[in-house]
Amino acid sequence: MRNESKFHTVWRDYLERSFTIIIPILAILAAFAVSGLIILAWGANPLEAYAALFSGAFGSPSAIATTLQRMTPLIFTGLAVAYGYRGGFFNIGAEGQLYMGAIASVWVGINFSTLPAIVLIPLCVIASGFMGMMWVLLPAYLKSRRGINEVLTTLLMNYIAIQYFEWLVRVDQYQEGVILFGGKTPVWSFVNYLGIKDPLQPFPKTPIMVEATFLPSIKSILESNLFVSLFGGAEWFQGLLNTPAFSRITLAPFLGILAVIIMVFVMFKTVIGYRSRAVGISQEAARFMGINVKNTLFTTALISGVLAGLAGGMEVLGTQHRMIPNFLVNAGFDGIPVALIGQLHPVGAFLSATFFGALRAGANKMQIITSVPIAVVYIIQSLAIVFAIAGTTIDIGSTLKKKRIARESDVKKKIKAAEGEVNNAS
Amino acid sequence: MTELLRLEKIRKSFPGVLANDNVDLVIERGEIHALLGENGAGKSTLMNCVYGVYRPDSGKIIWKGKEVTIHQARDAIVLGIGMVHQHFKLVPPLSVAENVVLGLPSKREPFLNLEEVEKEILETANRFGIVVDPKAKIWQLPVGVQQRVEILKALYRNAELLILDEPTAVLTPGEVEELFVTLKSLTKEGLSIIFITHKLEEVMDVCDRVTVLRDGCVVHTINKTETNTRDLARMMVGREVFLKIDKPVMEPGDVVLEVENLSALDNRGLPALNNVSLNIHRNEILGVAGVDGNGQTELADVIAGMRKVTGGKVTVGGKEATNLSPLDIIKMGVAYIPPDRQHTGLLLNFSLTENLIGKNYFRPPYSKGGVLQKKAIDDFSEKAISEYDVRTPGPDLQAKLLSGGNQQKVVLAREFSGQPDLVIASQPTRGLDIGATEYVRTRMVEARNRGAAILLISTELEEIMSLSDRIAVMYEGEIMGIVSAKDADIHEIGEMMAGVRRVGDRTANIDEMEVEKPS
Repeated sequence: MRNESKFHTVWRDYLERSFTIIIPILAILAAFAVSGLIILAWGANPLEAYAALFSGAFGSPSAIATTLQRMTPLIFTGLAVAYGYRGGFFNIGAEGQLYMGAIASVWVGINFSTLPAIVLIPLCVIASGFMGMMWVLLPAYLKSRRGINEVLTTLLMNYIAIQYFEWLVRVDQYQEGVILFGGKTPVWSFVNYLGIKDPLQPFPKTPIMVEATFLPSIKSILESNLFVSLFGGAEWFQGLLNTPAFSRITLAPFLGILAVIIMVFVMFKTVIGYRSRAVGISQEAARFMGINVKNTLFTTALISGVLAGLAGGMEVLGTQHRMIPNFLVNAGFDGIPVALIGQLHPVGAFLSATFFGALRAGANKMQIITSVPIAVVYIIQSLAIVFAIAGTTIDIGSTLKKKRIARESDVKKKIKAAEGEVNNAS
Repeated sequence: MTELLRLEKIRKSFPGVLANDNVDLVIERGEIHALLGENGAGKSTLMNCVYGVYRPDSGKIIWKGKEVTIHQARDAIVLGIGMVHQHFKLVPPLSVAENVVLGLPSKREPFLNLEEVEKEILETANRFGIVVDPKAKIWQLPVGVQQRVEILKALYRNAELLILDEPTAVLTPGEVEELFVTLKSLTKEGLSIIFITHKLEEVMDVCDRVTVLRDGCVVHTINKTETNTRDLARMMVGREVFLKIDKPVMEPGDVVLEVENLSALDNRGLPALNNVSLNIHRNEILGVAGVDGNGQTELADVIAGMRKVTGGKVTVGGKEATNLSPLDIIKMGVAYIPPDRQHTGLLLNFSLTENLIGKNYFRPPYSKGGVLQKKAIDDFSEKAISEYDVRTPGPDLQAKLLSGGNQQKVVLAREFSGQPDLVIASQPTRGLDIGATEYVRTRMVEARNRGAAILLISTELEEIMSLSDRIAVMYEGEIMGIVSAKDADIHEIGEMMAGVRRVGDRTANIDEMEVEKPS
């Protein structure tokens, strides 16, 4: 009855799957097209502007370095939102968790500045993830045990985190042992941690952290004994070392890629991910399948929080090395469109984070060369979001599948009819 | 009789599916016309075309001799066509009168004229012999009365043709009787009724003419008096149906499920179960009959661990299972086929494989150390799909794309995969066509023959009677009596369903009474 080759079936299956990728790509192209009209109206040539945008994002090693830098926090927040969303926990609070993660890693970096880098960096990373998790703890509890909408609670937690952060970087001096309730508070408590503003600076920012907290750059890795002893003499190796961009590319984006791989594994290959996705699809049906919905939601929220916290840690350790107000504008909130355009898949989130990062990285060059304002980039970004979300309603993939089923049942019907005629004849 | 509605060569297709093809249909004034067909035969689609929900691709709709185009439901209502959907379109917090006038202009705009409306509703209701309180809130009303409100809504809009989409699916036997009386009184007033159904007995009970649909085409239109259920069934499915399941006589084995003095609350916090005691042995099907909403769902939920017990004890296989988590109860070898496969039975956006593994994914060899084993799972899924004859292009298909019967097969495959000792089957054949129903029933009898104990909850008495070894009847959260299926008398069961306790069975301690060992 099936007279189709296996190859044919596989190919068509592939085609159907590819629609989940094609929709966001079409959305992005459409966004560029519509924004092109706006640039035209502005009085510039959109093709020139886009060429500048592209070369500013990917045109040179240093452009790529900037793109990688901009996309790293978006990878993590995108993963955080995607994992939470798939598991039925819509984490709007990635922004706040990110800030708390950044604070935690700076706190560790300042308090344990004497530790060697090999210990200190992992400690800072873990601290940021842990603090991100702590910041989602209350919403996670309220959602899973009390059924309170997580969108509200995580959103409100953002403002607490952001304002706390603003306060931290504005208060002078590090004070050891604040007098509280008539006694000195211990050194390790957050309360001590009032003044992390750099007293030498008129602006609200913290002093630069010790170098042991800097995530190693590609250059410093290449300069390590192992590589020098391997390729030390080669000309191309010296050439690599002399490329300035490599000192700006840190481990952070690679940790981001590692996180993507880990999340693919967790989401689709583990019991935790299975439960989490089941709960995300239907809590009722998951409960009937014997899944503990409350615990699963709680775990999902915590994992989401860890990822968002790591975004803050990566930015501090990899790029900023200090905290300044608005050090990561909206990276947490942008995690939501990153995840949605990425079709709530870790790899998709990575790709759309690349897109978002490239837009930001290329915007400056576009403004300098063609005088098209940076704001156009945000128009492109927003249009892409709108089109991508509109596109998900099309759902061509399952329409095709339905068609295939119909076709197959048509065949069956015909066979049935033929059999019927035979029966009637006999 | 004169002709009211004529459909000519109606054709309606959805992307990839031809739902109706060349359908001709004539409705006379004052007749009850049954539209009979299996699930997916295109009955509802056809009527939605008439009611303006869909627009036919081609074909004519002729109303009272004039060709009309119906773009939306409002057009149909203006013409005088009313439809009562399977799932009522009522607003629960509003009163009957408010629901009836919803969407109609008030005579005292911008104010409501509810008192006047209430009077009019009462007049209409009296004219057709429908009993309803216009001031009652919808959520307080039983399903049967809600349906009357829907009918009243159509009548209030001066409907001349009433389309009822599977009206009996949600009703108790008593309510069905009442509905039929109402329908007959409506036709006496000159209304025509289209009665969509897949139940043959109802056609013979109430209808004047029957049109049988199969695969979107009209097979035959015939007067009721010229046919019988057997012929109709053959027309519906294109083959003979044997709903009598072969069930060998078996001696019940050890007690698997023991329920003692069980009490529980329903979703609103009101008592749903009251001192329920029963037990089921190996190789035995215990059917729980009763009008829907008398505690059967809660009973199933409580045993499966989905609902807290407020009093009493549940024992499975000799081990205490009261108030354990659903997962613990699954691990004790209990399978649960939930009543609603769309919402609780399946994860519609999961693939078939992911659904099939739903009760085993945490066990080796399907997962090791928290990591799913793709190979083992794929093998399992492939085997289940072929064993349970799930019609699908592949195991990666999302469950929502399957037809109802195939979805239920997936649920069965998942639940029976662990060779459960106890199967709780709640409405396992609801909404399935004859072929799928037969399949599900056969599988349950197989499980029983293998040695499982089965708790079968169904509102269809015919299903209970043909499958069960013993029959328990529930009424308002209590067990009215448990009888052996062999000497079950349908009238006695009917009385128990209406709340008459079985004489000499006041303690409801049935273990001793039922053991009439088959010779």
